[in-house]
Amino acid sequence: MSIHIQQVNKHFGNFVAVDSVNLEIKTGELTALLGPSGSGKTTLLRIIAGLEQADSGIVKFNGEDITTQHVSERGVGFVFQHYALFKHMTVFENVAYGLTVRPRKTRPSKAEIAEKVHSLLKLVQLDWTADRYPSQLSGGQRQRIALARALAVEPKVLLLDEPFGALDAKVRAELRRWLRRLHDEINVTTVFVTHDQEEALEVADKIVVMNKGRIEQQGTPEEVYDTPSNPFVYEFLGNVNLFHARVKHGHSTIGNIHIPSPEHAEREEEQQGLAYVRPHEIEVLTQPTENAIKVNLDLVTIVGPVARLEVLTEIDEQLIHVELSKVQFKQLGISKGDNAWIQPRYSKVFLGEGI
Amino acid sequence: MGKAVMKSVLPGFGITLGFSVLYLSLLFLLPVAGLFLFTLQMSWADFWVAISHPQVVASYKLSFAASFIGATINAVFGTLVAWVLVRYQFLGKKVVDALVDLPFALPTAVAGIALVTLYSTTGWVGQYLYLWGIKVAYSEIGVVIALTYIGLPFVVRTVQPVLADFSKELEEASASLGASRFTTIRRVILPAVLPALLTGYALAFAKAVGEYGSVIFISGNLPYRTEITPLLIVSKAEQYDYNGAAAIGVVMLAAAFILLLIINSLQWWASKRG
Repeated sequence: MSIHIQQVNKHFGNFVAVDSVNLEIKTGELTALLGPSGSGKTTLLRIIAGLEQADSGIVKFNGEDITTQHVSERGVGFVFQHYALFKHMTVFENVAYGLTVRPRKTRPSKAEIAEKVHSLLKLVQLDWTADRYPSQLSGGQRQRIALARALAVEPKVLLLDEPFGALDAKVRAELRRWLRRLHDEINVTTVFVTHDQEEALEVADKIVVMNKGRIEQQGTPEEVYDTPSNPFVYEFLGNVNLFHARVKHGHSTIGNIHIPSPEHAEREEEQQGLAYVRPHEIEVLTQPTENAIKVNLDLVTIVGPVARLEVLTEIDEQLIHVELSKVQFKQLGISKGDNAWIQPRYSKVFLGEGI
Repeated sequence: MGKAVMKSVLPGFGITLGFSVLYLSLLFLLPVAGLFLFTLQMSWADFWVAISHPQVVASYKLSFAASFIGATINAVFGTLVAWVLVRYQFLGKKVVDALVDLPFALPTAVAGIALVTLYSTTGWVGQYLYLWGIKVAYSEIGVVIALTYIGLPFVVRTVQPVLADFSKELEEASASLGASRFTTIRRVILPAVLPALLTGYALAFAKAVGEYGSVIFISGNLPYRTEITPLLIVSKAEQYDYNGAAAIGVVMLAAAFILLLIINSLQWWASKRG
């Protein structure tokens, strides 16, 4: 089931939650709506579900306009951040709910419902919890039950609102890998909302980056990470260092060093810009080299296999974050207070002052 | 560890428990025990005559039946009032919210007289009902109305906080799974408020069984028809028949205790499923 969103707007009082959004989601795709809180991603998801009515615009499923259809008729599976399981029902009753509320004519028989529920519980690997109550399960288990409950009605579209937001880091990581595998297995068109860029990069086929109710960029995880289309996406997807740069003829000058900027090859006049360099795109040298910035090592944090350095430039004491493997760092043989030279391997320059 | 005595993190258990027991004994256990002691002065035969007089039996029937009907009406409409107060924003909501507590604050005699004024055959509402052949004041219906009036806040105030805490997501989840509004209310919302509703029901019922002031004006106190049991106790006491009054009191106490026990076990059963 493909989803088309056309010119959708939503206001809450004076707050613009969704601002003229156009979006197309292909059948069977796993899409992440990624953005900071207040970016409109959850509102957009709820508009797709029918839990929220758009002020204007059109939502289509498979080309059919369903903008005014009630949530109970849309055939969507919705998974909430805080599970929203029915506390007074057992796990079995929860998963069966969507089938048992059907009108008598279309309701499957008891045996069929039982079979369906057990196969779903097997799918989420929680068959043994059928007779328990949600309060007897852990957060991760509850969310898997919520997913099974949503899948029971064989939704055309599966929508998940920060599904792992309430779980601890380890369970989160496990569940998102599991969701990816599950999606490959059942292949239902899925949209999930997250503010965690790592989660989006790891799980999704396609990432839609949102900010202030608008879509900033959409593409595969690699596309949005490697070639962010604007400074917001650059800063939102991972840490980044900013350097003042001058751009001309496809070359950028940062302080005393030069790096190629082929995207600005046509630039005849010298222009001011900001160069974005990710911490792991910086090389650290122990000897002065041409085209390197002299820095002083200010702080070293070793996080597992990764060494995170904070260095200060000699000229204007600008703080720069550098990331390299712990092994590489040990080979350099430098420690706090030592001088070093850094060289950006890759950067992207956005024109304009103080973006 | 030596002789170190573990001090509780929450000190004061002994003194608070001791005070609670003393307090409850003085206010509650002593009078109840007194009631039983009083009846011990009677012989079994006297006791039985006092509690099984047809006039008394008729009053039991009226008191418990009218209380039951009143509490049931409150369970339905009190929940509705709580729902409206929790779910909707409207002009004068605060006033309505405050009005719910009125039966707590208003002297019951005032309420009784007000109800008579409204519902007597010449009253504002009663005269029209009388045209339809419905006589409210000085009939069983009047008793039910008075008992409904005084029980309302119990249901509203117990159900209201539970509804306020009820997560909107559960309703949305139910709707997204294809349930109609009615199914959502029946299968998701009602089970969640049921324990609180039963508590409110029990309180409204208990209050109604013991109610005196607001009923005696509107009921007309016709022997065998609209006399409530508390009225008989008062009239016996007024005639210095303290033993008779105590005997009926014991019956009321036992009956109320059994009924509350049943409702509490229902409530326990309902909340255990949560």
